[in-house]
Amino acid sequence: MNSIFNRHIYFFLAVLLCFSACRPSPVVSDEKANSRYSIYIMGRDGKEYLLETNSLDSGVIVPEQKGAELDVKLIDRSVIVRNGYYYHYERKGASFVKYIVEGRNLNVVSATPLQQFSIENYQWLGGDTLLLTGLSTPDFSHVKYVLLNAVNMKKLAEGNMQIPAPSGRFDSMSIGFVKPQNDKLLVGYTYHQQLSTSDYTTSDTTYISELSFPSMKLSGSTKDIRSTYPGGINTVQSSSFTDEQQNYYFMDCPGLALGNRPELPTSIMRIRAGEKKADPDYFLNFSAAAGNHAYGMWYLGNHKAIVRAERKDLFKGLGDHYSTPHFEFYITDLQTSVIKKLDLPLDKGTRRECVLINKDVAYISVNSPEEGNFIWILDIRTGSLKKGLQLAGNTDFILRIDKLR
Amino acid sequence: MRCYATYIYISLQLVIKGHTPGIMKVNKDLIEKYHRQECTEEEAEAVEQWLFSAESDEALQLPVNEEKIVHKQDIWKGIQGILPEEPAPVMIRKMSFGFWSGAIAASLVTGIVILGTHQLMQSKDRSFEQMVTLNNTSSVNVRHVESQEYNVSIGTNTSARIDNITGIVDLSGSMMISPKEDITLKFEGSPEKITFKKGQTYVILKGKDGKDKIIIVSEKNLMDLPPVLQKQIINEFNI
Repeated sequence: MNSIFNRHIYFFLAVLLCFSACRPSPVVSDEKANSRYSIYIMGRDGKEYLLETNSLDSGVIVPEQKGAELDVKLIDRSVIVRNGYYYHYERKGASFVKYIVEGRNLNVVSATPLQQFSIENYQWLGGDTLLLTGLSTPDFSHVKYVLLNAVNMKKLAEGNMQIPAPSGRFDSMSIGFVKPQNDKLLVGYTYHQQLSTSDYTTSDTTYISELSFPSMKLSGSTKDIRSTYPGGINTVQSSSFTDEQQNYYFMDCPGLALGNRPELPTSIMRIRAGEKKADPDYFLNFSAAAGNHAYGMWYLGNHKAIVRAERKDLFKGLGDHYSTPHFEFYITDLQTSVIKKLDLPLDKGTRRECVLINKDVAYISVNSPEEGNFIWILDIRTGSLKKGLQLAGNTDFILRIDKLR
Repeated sequence: MRCYATYIYISLQLVIKGHTPGIMKVNKDLIEKYHRQECTEEEAEAVEQWLFSAESDEALQLPVNEEKIVHKQDIWKGIQGILPEEPAPVMIRKMSFGFWSGAIAASLVTGIVILGTHQLMQSKDRSFEQMVTLNNTSSVNVRHVESQEYNVSIGTNTSARIDNITGIVDLSGSMMISPKEDITLKFEGSPEKITFKKGQTYVILKGKDGKDKIIIVSEKNLMDLPPVLQKQIINEFNI
């Protein structure tokens, strides 16, 4: 609603970019250079902060005292974090921007123009090559991609992916995952139909297409009707991974917060190493096991994953889905389908990048109005849980925890 | 831009009858001249005085004994006569680089809101002003309106009926609201009263079908909505 203000900010950003392009590489202090983790905070007053820290194991951080306050008109939680830098698609500025935290400021390092794009998925393709997959805007009906070098932010390629546009009753689509497989790409997606201003539905089908790389030509597609809405927007929350045997696992999320086909089960599906379709013999029905839908999945290793599940008995609808503490975390055995709830306070926030695996430890951020905002530490071998770093002060939501370097 | 200013001027002429601020009479020709940057210093000053004066609001006040609803209907009829089929976009946000046009737009919007909605939320002592209707029949443009209490963006194909006495809002479509003070409203289809906090922006969605659930979220939590709805809102309200 503050368009005049926004316009000034964008002008300022443009000027900043000009200066950034001419200046030498940013100087990072020794303290910052040591920071291994990044934390993205939303405050009670709507302010947002990025914090960098070397430890998640203990202590207290007050974001308004230590963090870089963010311009929420320019940036949101949908960031890609790698090697000390933050990457974010600036929708209004139509550019993909690389940032660094210097002192208590988030500064622009460089940017590359990227127009009429809506990011659905990012994928590192070895080294510093980043593949962004998204939809054309404003129609959200064509799949676009950009391949770029994240060091110098130069585009290597861009164009359309040859994936069928929505047709019939469907008017938009979602790209749920992009997975390099052999010398090709597998893309998981589905289609949506807007029913009214406040209601929509999703096709009952999970689509997986195989594309040649880098030409992005379609070489085959499969349909799977066991569930729908594969993956999710992975700049906001993870929902897929590759195991030690190079098998790829992804969630299908038909619940209220993604597919809005609640009669279908949240499930975990698998694409075997080298294959190009979902394994017809593998279907982990998470809804049947937990009695609820889930969104978000992180791999612990040894065929176990953490799944973040909602509690339908505790929220009323989308209006309070994010603000009511109702989320639970389950350790899910991918081989036996046995799930075990972790003894954590109920968590709030519909979609968050809230789990970070570091060798034998899983850091789990939990936003509990009663017990506080903590990073909990799960010992993967023993299953023991304890509180680690506390985010205090203005903190309302820990929206992300990332490995910074 | 000039066409826009002209349209605004014509619209204002319909509601500000015989308005003559300052010494010099500000008329259509003078405003157009101003936009062509051909005004003398004296003429420019007169236009600027007119822009900054609060008289557009004063001019909209009607004699106590007159039925405002009648005036409202008459004026809207008059305005509709010169408007294209779709309501012309009243895009405060889009006009920021043209400050003067923005100022005129703000005056017009304020005028329309105050006149067209009968002083939104202010007239609890006047029974005929109990119901206020905000409509946007455009399928393309959002209407931005401003009152003393809040800024509202009315989404495409949206109608909102507000009962000023009970605080009940019957919404069909989408709107964004930024209160200037904390306000409490109750929406048809939602069992609870909702307090909207000063300085925050809220998105409210409600389908035309009575069975559709209402969705009310703070703009800062937009990323928690399903991506399908997020995209719809981002597109519609250009946020």
